[in-house]
Amino acid sequence: MKSIRRILRILAAAGFVLLGCAGQVSAEEAHKDLVLRGDAKCTRCHDEGDDYPVLAIGKTRHGTVADGRTPSCTSCHGESESHVSKPEGVTERPRPDVLFRGKNRSTAAAQNGQCLACHQADAKRTHWEASIHQARDVACTNCHQVHTAHDAVRDRSTQPDVCFACHKEQRTQVNKPSHHPIPEGKMACSDCHNPHGSTGPKLMKRDSVNDTCYTCHMEKRGPYVHTHEPVSEDCGNCHNPHGTTAENMLKARPPFLCHQCHTPHGAQVAQVVGQGQAQPFAGSPLLSGTTSGKSGINYFMARGCTNCHTEVHGTNNPSTTNPTPQFNFR
Amino acid sequence: MTSSRQHGWSSTFCAGALLAFLAPAWAEDDAVARLAKPDTASVSAGGAGISGDPKDRSLFTQYNGLHKDDAYFLLDFDYIVRDDATGTWTIVQGRDLGLDTREVRFLYGPQGKWQVHGEYWELTRYYPRTVDTSVQGIGTTNLAVSLLPAPGTGQDADLKTNRKRLNVGGETWFGKNLMLAATFTTEDKDGARLWGRGFTCPSGAAPTPVCTALATGANQWALLMLPEPIGSNTKQVEVKLNWSGERFNLVGGYYGSFYNNDYASLTDTITGNLNNGLGVPMSSPALTPGLRGILQLPMALPPDNQAHQFNLDGSYAFTTTTHANFKYAYTHATQTQSFSQGGFDSPPPGRGDLGGRVDTNLVQAAINSRPWSRLALLANVRWEDRKDKTPIDLYNIEGTTTWTNGHYSNEKLTGKAEATYSFPYGIRGSAGLDYESVDRGQFVPTDQVAGLSGLRQKTYDRGWHLAATKTMADDVTGMITYVHADRKGSSWLKPASGTATGVFPADPDCTSNATNPCIFSRTAIFPYVMEDRRRDKVRALVDWSPIEKLSVQLSGDYGKDNYSGPTEKGLDHTRLELYGIDVSYRVNDTTRLSAYYTYSEQTLKVAHSTGYIADLKDRNDTAGLGIAGVLNPRIRWGGDLLWIKDNNQYNTSLDSGASAQNLAYFNSGLPFIPDATFRDFRIKLYGSYAVQRNGDIKLEVVHDRTKLDEWQWGYNGVPFLYSDNTTVNLKPDQSVTFVSVLYTYRFK
Repeated sequence: MKSIRRILRILAAAGFVLLGCAGQVSAEEAHKDLVLRGDAKCTRCHDEGDDYPVLAIGKTRHGTVADGRTPSCTSCHGESESHVSKPEGVTERPRPDVLFRGKNRSTAAAQNGQCLACHQADAKRTHWEASIHQARDVACTNCHQVHTAHDAVRDRSTQPDVCFACHKEQRTQVNKPSHHPIPEGKMACSDCHNPHGSTGPKLMKRDSVNDTCYTCHMEKRGPYVHTHEPVSEDCGNCHNPHGTTAENMLKARPPFLCHQCHTPHGAQVAQVVGQGQAQPFAGSPLLSGTTSGKSGINYFMARGCTNCHTEVHGTNNPSTTNPTPQFNFR
Repeated sequence: MTSSRQHGWSSTFCAGALLAFLAPAWAEDDAVARLAKPDTASVSAGGAGISGDPKDRSLFTQYNGLHKDDAYFLLDFDYIVRDDATGTWTIVQGRDLGLDTREVRFLYGPQGKWQVHGEYWELTRYYPRTVDTSVQGIGTTNLAVSLLPAPGTGQDADLKTNRKRLNVGGETWFGKNLMLAATFTTEDKDGARLWGRGFTCPSGAAPTPVCTALATGANQWALLMLPEPIGSNTKQVEVKLNWSGERFNLVGGYYGSFYNNDYASLTDTITGNLNNGLGVPMSSPALTPGLRGILQLPMALPPDNQAHQFNLDGSYAFTTTTHANFKYAYTHATQTQSFSQGGFDSPPPGRGDLGGRVDTNLVQAAINSRPWSRLALLANVRWEDRKDKTPIDLYNIEGTTTWTNGHYSNEKLTGKAEATYSFPYGIRGSAGLDYESVDRGQFVPTDQVAGLSGLRQKTYDRGWHLAATKTMADDVTGMITYVHADRKGSSWLKPASGTATGVFPADPDCTSNATNPCIFSRTAIFPYVMEDRRRDKVRALVDWSPIEKLSVQLSGDYGKDNYSGPTEKGLDHTRLELYGIDVSYRVNDTTRLSAYYTYSEQTLKVAHSTGYIADLKDRNDTAGLGIAGVLNPRIRWGGDLLWIKDNNQYNTSLDSGASAQNLAYFNSGLPFIPDATFRDFRIKLYGSYAVQRNGDIKLEVVHDRTKLDEWQWGYNGVPFLYSDNTTVNLKPDQSVTFVSVLYTYRFK
């Protein structure tokens, strides 16, 4: 017991002596790599107290050092020798070779070049070059945050706000009553779009608008016995997938939507007095006990044209006898 | 008794000294580990309550899992561990486990070598309207309809769609250059969605004497609400083999997608009589056997189908500044569901299924180069050839008149070329050319075109665009883009009248005959996707950051599409205007504020052949405000506010072609088409308090007020009635408050 106490006394004395040198010890330690291979070059000055805290990169896949492909600070920011060792006679320290934020940030091409040096190999980025985001100089860090465990754009619930920073029209649409579950955090923009480039229009994730929609709405794919051609061409002909006030995310309420292409069923104008109600209009009643179902009310109210033309996406009913399903789509 | 105090230095003091000796190194290692190690294990549990009943909150709770009940158990968890020696990640996370929107995901594997991952995901979408109906058997393929004694005396139908999705996948690296990745997704969907059908007798599309005029020569018709049953499964398989070299990346892949529907057709049985158009039971006669029979015919549900795609993607870096990429994909899609499953009447003799087959070839190539630092060039071309190879057969026999199914094939070519130059004074300009053509091929001559006046085989879209960016000062950047495109096309083709004999050119060289005049009438109508179109779009953005803590963004969009064809009718134009401002302000190191306001107006102008012109406008104001802060190390707080005012205007007028009846109605003062309006005001406040070092309690309060006033299902208190007195209702003014308390415990 005595010997243990003696050892503790010696250590305590040494501790007090060395406390005075603590600052010096810390300085020595600071030259060790803290998170990434070779990061001592940077972390001797930069740490979590910076405007852009750096150490949290260790929580990310970039900070998984056991994976030999992961970078050091200089892999992305360049060797930055003049920044590390300020040349004599220079009043302001030169900036790093590649800077991703702030007023003096590098060009988007220079920034992206650093990221693509590794990420170009990813199949999801094969079509980055010549994509609209690349052509408009969108930098990876416009959307991604690298020095944090929570990159908002990679989280389904926070991603849309990142995209809405540029795509304002879509921000107004997703909160309309008919919408995909984007505000609820159950879907994100990247469920349909590949912002890193694709062969589809509008950076669609798959090769076309329809192929992208079919990933969740495969029942609409057909082919059918009776096909509705604009449906097969582009779902966006009738739907606005970002949200509308009309049901089913339709761009306009039927029949106005349908009347863009079709002109059926004679001389009836819109009436909203309600089906099944006696018409208060005495002049020339548009609705009676024996009026045709093709009335102004049946066009305009309820499901509009689809009250009778049920399955406008196409029908697989093969019946050849009257009434055939061709016109009524059912 | 011997005390350590007897020796001057206590054990505690000695231990403190030892700590003092080691503290700098330990503390730093600890601090770095805390900041740089991802390891975390936590469980969050709590409860939530929501006000009102499901009808009071149906808009707010469409998707968020808070529809059915008034109180909920909340449970989330996170388990994230990385073995730093091997780089092996173990991630298991659960969200919303107490709701029907639950999610669980996992990932395991040494980074850069291999990994497996998966996700289980549920979502229930509740149809926000309440359906009061006589219909029995909703969610099945056999529905029973009977006339309700009065509107509102039926049962509430709970229309919803449940999705349950499981996704599993993995990837593995073979050396430095080769990676294999595979995913498998299966999703079950069940429930019912709003559907229905109506029919009028007599009808040209129905035979006599089955569907005839009444003895008086008048009509008999009915309209039914028949929910479509949903019971299906989709499967998706994707495999990619990715080779990446110094300059060349190549990806070979397979993507298979399979849809299986439990249900082939929907039938209904009508018991007794139905109402006529005035909402009283049909009389003299009651519902005729002819119309009843037609209304009880089976209706087809979406058929099983599948597609297989093989693709080859790649990119090549000619130099560090010149890159190219390409893709080739071949897709083979089929639909061969047996007709016998649906119990349909008389398919074409000898045909057991459609034999649907569509083969698609896609080729894409792009090149991007910066030949010198100030100049960037890009070109992109895409060719897609969709060939519908489905057999043609007689699917429509009306007496002696016969028609077949059709084909939908098309060949699309799109291209783009653009040059961007960085001028002095911070100006960057781009100019480019755009091209798109669609060739729909020869129309099937035996198919009948309905409800259209004309078709076009080919359309061509030629356009150009300009873009400029200028850094006006250190703190201001502006951007403007302008896009113009003109669509033209080949000669219009006119569907033959009567028995289908295909289409014929409708131009001055055409030879008219008694039944097929070559000219279109002034009220003819054409698919807007084939009409000539002039498109102009402008977008402007200004970013201003006068001080480090403040940024302001102003944005504006304007776009107009003008359509034209050989007619006075149909779509005339669409237009969009949007103006917005976004502000972000860092109040101090711990508090951030953001706000935005956007005004937009979308216009759609359509002229209908019956003489009305609809000039539809959707005017929308949306504003948001967000604040988030840290009061002290223990307390975090924040709030969001959303305000929406959306007004759909149905400005309608009549032209000279309107009938006397329509003119009389229009001038009668009766409601024509009122506006449809939507308002939403939502405020969310939240705060968390660290009750202990590894435990937080979080409180969240959301209050939402919505107002949706539209005429689709009723107007001025008068509901739209189906023929069995079914009604569809929505509480127009909804107010809901949601409160949740969640305790999070983080394991050490």
